Amino acid sequence: MQREQPGRAALPWLLPSFLLLALFYLYPVFEALRLAFTDARLFDATTTLSLGSITGLWGSAPLATVLRNTLAYTLGSVLGQLALGLCIALLVVRAERARLRGTLVLRTIVLAAWVIPAIANGIIWQLLFSEAPFGAINSALRLIGLAPVAWLSDPGNAMISAILATIWQGTAYSMILLYAALRSIDQSLYEAAAIDNATGFERFWFITLPHLRPALLVNAILIMIMTLNMFDTVLALTGGGPGRATEVLSLFAYNTVFRGFELGRGAALSLLLLVISLVLTVCLTLLLPKGRK
Amino acid sequence: MVRSRGERLSDIAVYLAMALLALVFLLPILWLLSLALRTQAEVFLGAARFIPEAPTLDNFASVLRDGGFQSYIWNTVKLSALGAAGAVGFAAPAAYAFSRFSFRGKGAMMLGILSVQMVSGLVILIPLYRMLDRLGLLESHFGTTLLYIAAGVPVTIWLLKIAFDTIPQSLDDAAAIDGLSRLESFLLITLPLAAPGLISAFILNLILNWSQFLIPFIMLSADEKWPISVAIFRFAGASSAATTQLLAAACLLAILPALAVFVILQRWILAALMAGAVKD
Repeated sequence: MQREQPGRAALPWLLPSFLLLALFYLYPVFEALRLAFTDARLFDATTTLSLGSITGLWGSAPLATVLRNTLAYTLGSVLGQLALGLCIALLVVRAERARLRGTLVLRTIVLAAWVIPAIANGIIWQLLFSEAPFGAINSALRLIGLAPVAWLSDPGNAMISAILATIWQGTAYSMILLYAALRSIDQSLYEAAAIDNATGFERFWFITLPHLRPALLVNAILIMIMTLNMFDTVLALTGGGPGRATEVLSLFAYNTVFRGFELGRGAALSLLLLVISLVLTVCLTLLLPKGRK
Repeated sequence: MVRSRGERLSDIAVYLAMALLALVFLLPILWLLSLALRTQAEVFLGAARFIPEAPTLDNFASVLRDGGFQSYIWNTVKLSALGAAGAVGFAAPAAYAFSRFSFRGKGAMMLGILSVQMVSGLVILIPLYRMLDRLGLLESHFGTTLLYIAAGVPVTIWLLKIAFDTIPQSLDDAAAIDGLSRLESFLLITLPLAAPGLISAFILNLILNWSQFLIPFIMLSADEKWPISVAIFRFAGASSAATTQLLAAACLLAILPALAVFVILQRWILAALMAGAVKD
């Protein structure tokens, strides 16, 4: 029972949010676009129109390194979170079906890591990876007679360490999303498979995985965007180092603006981040089965 | 139902895997606790003293006694709670419109709101820094809270729309027959019935705001305005091997409120996350 002209009636309800979003998202995005075409500096009002900020990016040595880091960090973190999240979700569903106790405890512990602020996460893993003689992992390795590892000072290891820390914190999100998807799979499919004497692997490959495809893709999109844009963990863990070994695009953009004070170039970098997010989202959305878009 | 031997063996394997995973996820926090309970001398003994021989609460005491720490926690509570309340307040009417009205472009608008989430904080914070500077809102909790609200509104609109969808439309119709206006039936009927959804959204915002780092890091430069995330980052930067146990204690105290809220209110947070999962 509609009492009003529907379209016009909705407007006053939507207005507060829309004004807020326009002021805090739309305006800044266009402003960033404008800034990218200038040589603006953070504490300098006078700017001139220039393509230098954009053209200066291409071919510059740091950007190539930073993009390679971003690819490794994002791919490693996303795949790791999806795989581990799926394992835990499968395990929890399996345990619940057998009425084993303790699933709630495991879920709570995994989710607790997700609640920890990313900046604290970086600090915690810095304490764990610490290469001082009393660092957690290295002193434990020494206790069992193994050689210590240069977790943070070796460029290759530092990236792996950053990915491990990110996976530890982020897995809970994938676990919850995939757990919800697993629970929604029709149980009679598995019963039919049991009659056909399907092995556990066959049931996983031919029933579970195809049904999880949309959830996995949506999950991948969401955490990929989150990982691309987040730099708290890396900032607190390695600060982008050693050298530029773990400097990802978001951290590079931040450093360019707030340490180098190059506003125009930073805006161009942050827009590059947005473009990458958009392209990835479109690509992954195309992989979704029809009707789920 | 009697379980076969094979099934029982696989149950044991599941238990072992679960225990191993629990340990992997718990150990980093336990290590933090272990460091925080040690004296400086025991910190240097590393993993050999995982369980301290002379546990001490001095580290917690000296962090808590620090006036700065109390102000950081208070700032975090203030920014997180006001930001969460503001996000729910702004999002509720819009979510109600998306749930109850039919109008052209509704689906596109909902998707547009979701895609706003894709915009990195960095993209918008650079221009917003200048905007707030011109408005004189830089370095203020008011300006920072506005940004927290803006960060929370898109997800909150989605969560609240899902919550409003579960409340029967017929109640609105009955209210209309009784002569209530749209606004009255929203305030008196829909909102109270949607209380669980509102609480879930508020708590999820609260937890996300507790973790918020980039916004206050950029907007607030004065020590006495910082939330705990910024303070702990600065403290870690200035910390040395000799103050490891203090850093661990401060870090643990910084995450404890969020952990406590999470463990106590887990049900609500899971409800919010799962609602999002199903709707996506």
